[in-house]
Amino acid sequence: MPPKTKALYLTLAALALILPARAAAQDAATIVKTAIDYWRDVSSYSVVDMTIHRPDWKRTMTIRVWTRGQKESLVRVSAPPKDAGNATLLLDNDMWSFSPKINRVIKIPSSMMNQGWMGSDFSNNDLAKADDLIEQYTHKLLRTETHEGRKVYVIESTPLETAPVVWGREVVKVRDDWIILEHAFYDQQDALVKKLVTSEIRPMGGKTVAARERMQRADKPGEWTEVVTREVQFGIDVPASIFTLANLRNPREQR
Amino acid sequence: MRLADLPLLTTLAWRNLWRHTRRTAVMVFALALGVWSMVTLASLVRGSMEQQITKEILNLTGHAQIHARAYPDDPAVAHRFRPAPALDQALRQSPIGAWSARVRVPAVVSSERESAGVMLVGIDPAGERGLSFIPQAVTAGRYLDSPDDPGLLLGRKLAEQLETALGRRVVLMSQDAGDQIADRGFRVVGIFDADPQAMETGYVFIGRGIAQRMLKIGAEVSEIAVMTPDRKRPQAAVAGLRAAAGDLDVAPWTEVQPLLVLTEKINNVVLLIWFAVVFAAMAFGLVNTLLMAVFERTREFGLFQALGMPPRYILGQVLIESLMLLVVGLVLGNAAAWATVASLKGGIDLSAFAEGLEMVGVSPVIYPALAGSDMAAANIIVMTLGVLASLYPAWRASRYVPVEAITRV
Repeated sequence: MPPKTKALYLTLAALALILPARAAAQDAATIVKTAIDYWRDVSSYSVVDMTIHRPDWKRTMTIRVWTRGQKESLVRVSAPPKDAGNATLLLDNDMWSFSPKINRVIKIPSSMMNQGWMGSDFSNNDLAKADDLIEQYTHKLLRTETHEGRKVYVIESTPLETAPVVWGREVVKVRDDWIILEHAFYDQQDALVKKLVTSEIRPMGGKTVAARERMQRADKPGEWTEVVTREVQFGIDVPASIFTLANLRNPREQR
Repeated sequence: MRLADLPLLTTLAWRNLWRHTRRTAVMVFALALGVWSMVTLASLVRGSMEQQITKEILNLTGHAQIHARAYPDDPAVAHRFRPAPALDQALRQSPIGAWSARVRVPAVVSSERESAGVMLVGIDPAGERGLSFIPQAVTAGRYLDSPDDPGLLLGRKLAEQLETALGRRVVLMSQDAGDQIADRGFRVVGIFDADPQAMETGYVFIGRGIAQRMLKIGAEVSEIAVMTPDRKRPQAAVAGLRAAAGDLDVAPWTEVQPLLVLTEKINNVVLLIWFAVVFAAMAFGLVNTLLMAVFERTREFGLFQALGMPPRYILGQVLIESLMLLVVGLVLGNAAAWATVASLKGGIDLSAFAEGLEMVGVSPVIYPALAGSDMAAANIIVMTLGVLASLYPAWRASRYVPVEAITRV
């Protein structure tokens, strides 16, 4: 065999070894991206009950959520009356909150991004940076499982070196109908810190959606936040004017 | 008084001094103790002050700082500047020593479990050598190697508070030039120890280039810190920089840290009060001893006068006596103080009270510093005022009427 041909064969052999691995990585990233796209859709409107549970108290808020694309969201509390009107606007990584009691729009400063959103176990960052999972991580398919007869991809997402993410790694379980079943956050010593678990999946708004999700801190068993989706619509026409500071202060959205 | 008579008076005074050995010894001891306390206390205060200033200057102050006008009142990313070529040239000339430009803005550092407000400092690692404490302070891991080093230096106490450690990642969040959130993950490559502990919890260090990119400020900086050849006289260097800096604010350390200057002034006043109190106690003892000696020797002085000694000789004799007492006391006192300070060269360890001391900015180990000016001040005060105080007994001695004095029982 002439040396040139030999080199070619060797390169091909090496490629054959590398390619499936790269394809798998590509697959994992695609699965995560598809799941997030499926969850966000092009636009959505939903009514959600959020229950914050603590060892000695518990309260439930009803919130309404509008989203458009990956970067724009508006959340407004509609019940109980004490909290009604409180709203949060998210544009990419920036976040503003509005409280009708003080009639002020406040930009959430970076110092508050790690604090819980409205007292829940979701941090402001969890809300603002949900789509970072696509851009700031490398994904690896760990294994597949089955859930209610469907295939579940268990994907390990590791943040890039310079990603503004404190976690050591995250493990996301995505069912083959793009429902995120579980999202676990591990610290850099590989101890579980918190976990978002989907406990109820229902068809709603023409799709299958995760209807009941619970965020649980690993070290505090009595503290969790549960969100139950009561009503959801996808692919509806949400005007761009909803995602503005003017609208945050003076609600003009329908419904 | 003729100069030729001086040896006679000196002999008389010296012999009189040792006529009552114990009394003289007690007086000399009192004088020595007083001077010892003055000099030793002064060297303790000076030493601790000196340490405090040196430390504060190394704690990112430098001898002078250059900022945008609004930065000192509001250290935000908006108040940044680009060093003009003229300023750059002025910095490269003597009398400027080490200097370095920094990015210094408030930020939030977070780990998996905690977050804390800090001052983010973007440094040129090589430029900080000889300028600030940070190159020497890294006790675990490594120091940054270039302005584009992607690592981060975290204080030991802050690492503890954040429940993170060397080699793990943390996230820095701040405001960028466009008021948007700027955030980035950093690996902790070094842990530093600092004194006071507020430096450990209040500052994180990253490469300047990385900071500029993260905050989207191009080549602009927040401050330039400068060392001058002489800490006590930064004025010339500051004036030169001011001329070159245009609209920027150039402040010597005395303006950046006015509290230090105030502390130094208070220390001076405290020392002066201490000198006065010790001297007053000493002066009463001295005057009393001399008065007693003079009173004892009433007949003797009467006889001297009857034999033809002029009153000014008697005055001189008593003054020489007091001068001798003072000189012996001062020599012993200074020697004792020198010995004390020399034996404390290793520093006085007050770490048992470290926490309380840190609150007032004093480090747990005080290294006394013998200051020539304080020593001279103590000696001159004691000498001059001592001689002045002994004028009264001397004057009394020279005012006896010979007949009355001799016939006195």
